[in-house]
Amino acid sequence: MTLNLCVLTPNRIVWDSEVKEIILSTNSGQIGVLPNHAPIATAVDIGILRIRLNDQWLTMALMGGFARIGNNEITILVNDAEKGSDIDPQEAQQALEIAEANLRKAEGKRQTIEANLALRRARTRVEAINAIS
Amino acid sequence: MSCLNLTMWVSSKPSLSDTSSLSFRSFISPFQLPSQSSTPGNPSRSSSVTPVHCGLRELRDRIDSVKNTQKITEAMKLVAAAKVRRAQEAVVNGRPFSESLVEVLYNINEQLQTEDIDAPLTNVRPVKKVALVVVTGDRGLCGGFNNAIIKKAEARIAELKQLGLDYTIISVGKKGNSYFIRRPYIPVDRFLDGSSLPTAKEAQAIADDVFSLFVSEEVDKVELLYTKFVSLVKSDPVIHTLLPLSPKGEICDVNGVCVDAAEDEFFRLTTREGKLTVEREVMRTQTADFSPILQFEQDPVQILDALLPLYLNSQVLRALQESLASELAARMSAMSNATDNAQELKKTLSIVYNRQRQAKITGEILEIVAGANALV
Repeated sequence: MTLNLCVLTPNRIVWDSEVKEIILSTNSGQIGVLPNHAPIATAVDIGILRIRLNDQWLTMALMGGFARIGNNEITILVNDAEKGSDIDPQEAQQALEIAEANLRKAEGKRQTIEANLALRRARTRVEAINAIS
Repeated sequence: MSCLNLTMWVSSKPSLSDTSSLSFRSFISPFQLPSQSSTPGNPSRSSSVTPVHCGLRELRDRIDSVKNTQKITEAMKLVAAAKVRRAQEAVVNGRPFSESLVEVLYNINEQLQTEDIDAPLTNVRPVKKVALVVVTGDRGLCGGFNNAIIKKAEARIAELKQLGLDYTIISVGKKGNSYFIRRPYIPVDRFLDGSSLPTAKEAQAIADDVFSLFVSEEVDKVELLYTKFVSLVKSDPVIHTLLPLSPKGEICDVNGVCVDAAEDEFFRLTTREGKLTVEREVMRTQTADFSPILQFEQDPVQILDALLPLYLNSQVLRALQESLASELAARMSAMSNATDNAQELKKTLSIVYNRQRQAKITGEILEIVAGANALV
């Protein structure tokens, strides 16, 4: 049985092809999906997605969204997705440092919410790169 | 060029070689007068066409400058047309996402209908403060596009003031930014720049801002003011309530008219009989049934929490895309008008130019003949 993965962002289709296995970070922890998985719907956290193609693992940074699994079709809807190999390590590291600094400076409820979100996004991007190497 | 040589020759003839071209013009003007009075048949026509009183060289310069302007406006028109096509592509690219999203949202809503859900983005609170997201363009030369949306915003602000409600603005686009910067009495929460092609990142920046404003209870309602793209010649500034989201997957405008989110409109640029036209397609997304054994990995509330920001984001993105398409369409028609006007002006100026040149030549011939007669 083959498993089809489709990662959609508002701009474009990031991924639409067959995979062997994925590991998805959901709000309640990571779940692995193999062919013939039971149909589920889950919220996807800001985190990394691991994709197995034969024996090769790929990573992707997902910026929060939603996934639907059923009938050997996985549809992941996210705000933004970047392949680990497409992220510039230096730029990501810098963004992480800026985000950390911003969180320290943040005052009030609203700024803290924003800074926290930005920090988690930045951290995910760095993780997506490091997972490869 | 021969005309120029002729005028130089004529000007040197009455031993006024040191005079500037300006004085030369005043000298030549008496020659024009008899020619105009000698043709009483068409003074009405010439008077309707000639509010232009200047010399031949100035006329030539003006014709040249009008020609150049026409080239520029024509080029801008073509560029805008090409960009409209790109904007349309962006809408098409975003389609699979919004379709799946609406599908999922509908299904989950159906399953959640019986439960009492409470997601932060759907909280309806008594409204004390309203945030207005005003989407304008980055550049001018697009007719009344920016003005229309700013006027709409002003009208809405006046309305809110009358209701005794507080408000704040989130301005998107350079034109709006400069407008609100010049008016410091309007409270602006944030200035954001638009871009040539709206992406999810910009939509995210706006959505994040709006989200944190709403969740931290600084504002109780968020309205999106943008220009809805109707056709290439028509676009309407509209107000669209962004937050609180209605969990039924419906969005209502100010008058309480509900717009069904499943109804996905998109525009398509086509050429018909050699002219660019726009077709607007209304798609009703088919909401296929989920398998009934679908399990929710988390609490339905959590899933809705994950879905609604996505929905918010795609709404903002769509508004940005529509606004951009409207701006380009407005620019296209404005530039098309400008090109037509330039054509008209060029024609008028050429007529005046030719008439003046003819008058001068006639004058010169008369002068030569008179001179020759005097010699005999």
